[in-house]
Amino acid sequence: MSKYLDLDIRKIHELLVKKEITPLDLVDEALSRIEENKDLNAFITINDKVREEASELGEVDPDNLFFGIPIAVKDNIVTKDLKTTCASHILENFIPIYDATVVEKIRENKMLIIGKTNMDEFAMGSTSETSYFGAPLNPHDKKRVSGGSSGGSASAVSGGLIPLALGSDTGGSIRQPASYTGIVGMKPTYGRVSRYGLVAFASSLDQIGPITRTVYENASLLNVLVGEDDRDLTSVKKDKEDFTRLIGEDIKGLRIALPKYFVSDIVDEEISKRIKEVISFCDKNGAVVDIVDMQYLDTAVNLYQIIAMAEASSNLARFDGVRYGFRASDVNSVDEMYGKTRGEGFGDEVKRRIMVGSYILSGENAKTYYDKALMVRDDITKEFNRIFKEYDLIIGPTTTRVAPLLGNSKDDPHKAFMDDVLVIPVNMAGLPGLNVPVGKNSEGMPIGLHIIGKAFDEATIYKLASFLEEVF
Amino acid sequence: MDRLSREEVLHVAYLARISLTGEEIEKFRVQLKVLMDDIDKIKSVKDYDDEMMYTPIEDNTRLREDVVGKMLSAKDATINAPKKNGSFIEVPVMINE
Repeated sequence: MSKYLDLDIRKIHELLVKKEITPLDLVDEALSRIEENKDLNAFITINDKVREEASELGEVDPDNLFFGIPIAVKDNIVTKDLKTTCASHILENFIPIYDATVVEKIRENKMLIIGKTNMDEFAMGSTSETSYFGAPLNPHDKKRVSGGSSGGSASAVSGGLIPLALGSDTGGSIRQPASYTGIVGMKPTYGRVSRYGLVAFASSLDQIGPITRTVYENASLLNVLVGEDDRDLTSVKKDKEDFTRLIGEDIKGLRIALPKYFVSDIVDEEISKRIKEVISFCDKNGAVVDIVDMQYLDTAVNLYQIIAMAEASSNLARFDGVRYGFRASDVNSVDEMYGKTRGEGFGDEVKRRIMVGSYILSGENAKTYYDKALMVRDDITKEFNRIFKEYDLIIGPTTTRVAPLLGNSKDDPHKAFMDDVLVIPVNMAGLPGLNVPVGKNSEGMPIGLHIIGKAFDEATIYKLASFLEEVF
Repeated sequence: MDRLSREEVLHVAYLARISLTGEEIEKFRVQLKVLMDDIDKIKSVKDYDDEMMYTPIEDNTRLREDVVGKMLSAKDATINAPKKNGSFIEVPVMINE
């Protein structure tokens, strides 16, 4: 079988330009890899028109780096005429009638959507085990999870089924699975990428981002995804920039902060040791790394629970069995239809979060919980801003442990949140954050470094990530 | 193990418009209590400012021009409806409820 998909994307592009290969060759290779690795359960739906779409591109001259490259899309990003389930029974047969803005952009660049990836139901979870379609597996050890909620996208890229994927990150859902599976995942600054067509979970936190094998491919794909969009008024207008522009530069003079909390005893020893090696490598190469105190980091999970569950309860009110999705049978009243549809259509994790979210927003509770969480959220953001007055980047481990075994968090509603304890603060402040692999532990499982940047300064994150990628 | 009462679970399930089976009610009595205890921890945060952050976006007042855009056709709008009659979506009888 051909191995074109293992090549760097620039090399693939060169072969396409020279007409030595065609987009159909790439699609066929991806489809056969997906079939051979079906046990990874990375995909929920395969695009059955993708070969036809690839054939049509065969006659066209490549006009950009991503022309003809297969890509996978997380199944909470709507794709016209291609099933979008959010890994839920309630949307099991939902066929969107429009494309998300990011999907329009990848189609404009002639990428080929190979299929929709598995995930936690409605992106709620940290292992993708809440998927109605069963959990995707970690290609490094199939007894382990690939993380969540973008676990299918991470599994597909890490397993070499596909070079590129889209994920979404509300509380670490791109970076944590990227860490567990040893690949590169970026959550861009909130507002960088349009959320139009992303099935909303927690609207003030959600952001779409790229999941790739290398830092260069990640930055290049982000170039395609960004931009202001009138259909998402939280998207921000910014001058066009090339996120790859600092890749390859040395890191001399870069000022990096390492918050004490990120290397406290909540982090596994082997991971802490590796992070220290990264720090000393940065030191040796002229960067300044200081350990700093940061307040409020330990409250972030708590804030996330309140804000995300409250916003989810409101966003998921739309799934009522009326306009789309599953509807329970044998119902005699509208109230009964709502209750039974949602009771039978949602899984346990989603039900728990909607119920607690509804409680948080009911009556006086909104003040006690939601309003107070928003106040402390503002304080976390100010704390990040204080650090960024003196430093260019903040680093730490992406996760406190390597990918856990399947079933480890089952029926423990608390654990699902604690897996994301180090990545959640970034969503609170709307900052960009990236996972880059920095080697493996003694069991051969990937360890990830989390690099946090100033708002809209993804380019500096990529600069450090690419420097480290060469070594670790 | 700490748990909510059946009535408390049924109350939040009603707020969320989610019907639960008897078995689920028992399971959620424990699981929801864990989450309720988690969210209660916010009460112990003492040192904070009273400014609220609704969104990370600094300019959150941007609005688009109010112009007539593309409309969905009735066919597209109802294409995923679980029960329909022509271009109408069917729901259970609401009158006299």
